[in-house]
Amino acid sequence: MNAPIARVLPPLEDLEDKDFNVFFMEREMRGRFPDPYPLLEKMRRESSVHKVEYNALFSDTPDVELHHLNHYSVFGYDACMRVLDDPETFTSWDAWKYNIAKSFGRTVTVMDGAEHKRFRKVLQKAFLPHVVQRWGVSVVQPVIDRLVNKFIDRGKADLIEEYTHHFPFQIIYSMLLLDPDESPVFHKLAVAQLLSSGGFPQGAEATAKLGVFFKEMLAERRANPGDDLVSHLATIEVDGDYLDEDVLISFLRQLVNAGGDTTYRSMSVLLTCLLKEPELLDRIRKDRKLVPLAVEEALRWDGPISVTYRGCVRDTEIDGVMIPAGAFMNVILGSANRDPTRFENPDKFDIFRERTARPLPFAGGPHICVGQHLARVELGRALEGVLDRLPNVRLDPDMPEPQIVGHTLRSPDHIHVVFDKV
Amino acid sequence: MWRWVCVNCGFTYEEETGDPLSGIAPGTRFEDIPDDWKCPECGATKADFEFMDVG
Repeated sequence: MNAPIARVLPPLEDLEDKDFNVFFMEREMRGRFPDPYPLLEKMRRESSVHKVEYNALFSDTPDVELHHLNHYSVFGYDACMRVLDDPETFTSWDAWKYNIAKSFGRTVTVMDGAEHKRFRKVLQKAFLPHVVQRWGVSVVQPVIDRLVNKFIDRGKADLIEEYTHHFPFQIIYSMLLLDPDESPVFHKLAVAQLLSSGGFPQGAEATAKLGVFFKEMLAERRANPGDDLVSHLATIEVDGDYLDEDVLISFLRQLVNAGGDTTYRSMSVLLTCLLKEPELLDRIRKDRKLVPLAVEEALRWDGPISVTYRGCVRDTEIDGVMIPAGAFMNVILGSANRDPTRFENPDKFDIFRERTARPLPFAGGPHICVGQHLARVELGRALEGVLDRLPNVRLDPDMPEPQIVGHTLRSPDHIHVVFDKV
Repeated sequence: MWRWVCVNCGFTYEEETGDPLSGIAPGTRFEDIPDDWKCPECGATKADFEFMDVG
């Protein structure tokens, strides 16, 4: 990867209200529900489909973009797969038009059918496993070193505030060759985009400002292409034409939000699980072949997002429950990944578990997450960074243990650790 | 190193491991997988796989 480009773009414009605390608002919207899994399992046992909104099960704060819809929630592995694997009955546009299409624009997430297939194939090519593996060395490792160097001399740290919260966002800055001085504003706008679901106007403001910025960036990289991700996307030709500009801008908006926010939470869950099992952490330190097993189990046990959505476009039924056209489907991935009919003793974090089903941390079907392979690389590298750079790392006995909270995007607020000074 | 890769999601078929959860035994060559087999990650068809150099 190149060094950050010379400043030829106009500066990224901050929110008008500079005192508006995006991270606090996002934290409040996420809620603090400690453990949704017992209720999810109870409901799964009763029926694989309930006429209920997922968010309303755990929060009194309505999602202003979705609350008014005709909600059905789907529980358990097989029923969730039934929805995800039938994109003609359960479409993406009819779910995401209410939020993602407004926050990010015309991304592949909101497309269906032939249009989705056309763009998805091109965009996925930039995120194939062997491509993102290369970034693991060129992009990810320098970010780890930069972050760890800031606290390595202290012998203690909050791995959320000082490591995981910044890690995936800084990787995205590097991939886009952004000026590091702009990263605080960039991080703020990336997260702010989804505040529209809480009714905050800063959501639309962030969407618009990132759109202006990315439009300039695409034009600049198209005129002066390098070997960075945006240059690659800006200069791809399909059937003799560049990819539609609005699709690329929307993709970049989504990349900076979803690629950063979900990965940081998964990273935090992974570290929490292992720090609570010091013997297992030590075993992984000595045998790095176990790192991918730990990553996969953390993704299953408490994945990056607990629910995804689809819109039902024709009358149908699942396990005897009639679902009308127009229903808004809450596909509860957290229930699928803890389904005891597919995973033995599913509530146990067990990196050595028998592979009895494919977990669905990134959903499934044609809309499975484009960035899943990059997320795995980042998670593995983040863990190895802790093991390599923080000798004898352990939870700080003088601070509260990390607690994973939330019902849609779950993570701890802090991971206080101590380690031996080098 | 060349592998069959799903162009929709990036799932990479490894002959040594096969796809046991879909009934494809370890050691099965990609060419010998039934045509109605689907990508276990995203449900794409066998025709959606490309043979590519994965380094």
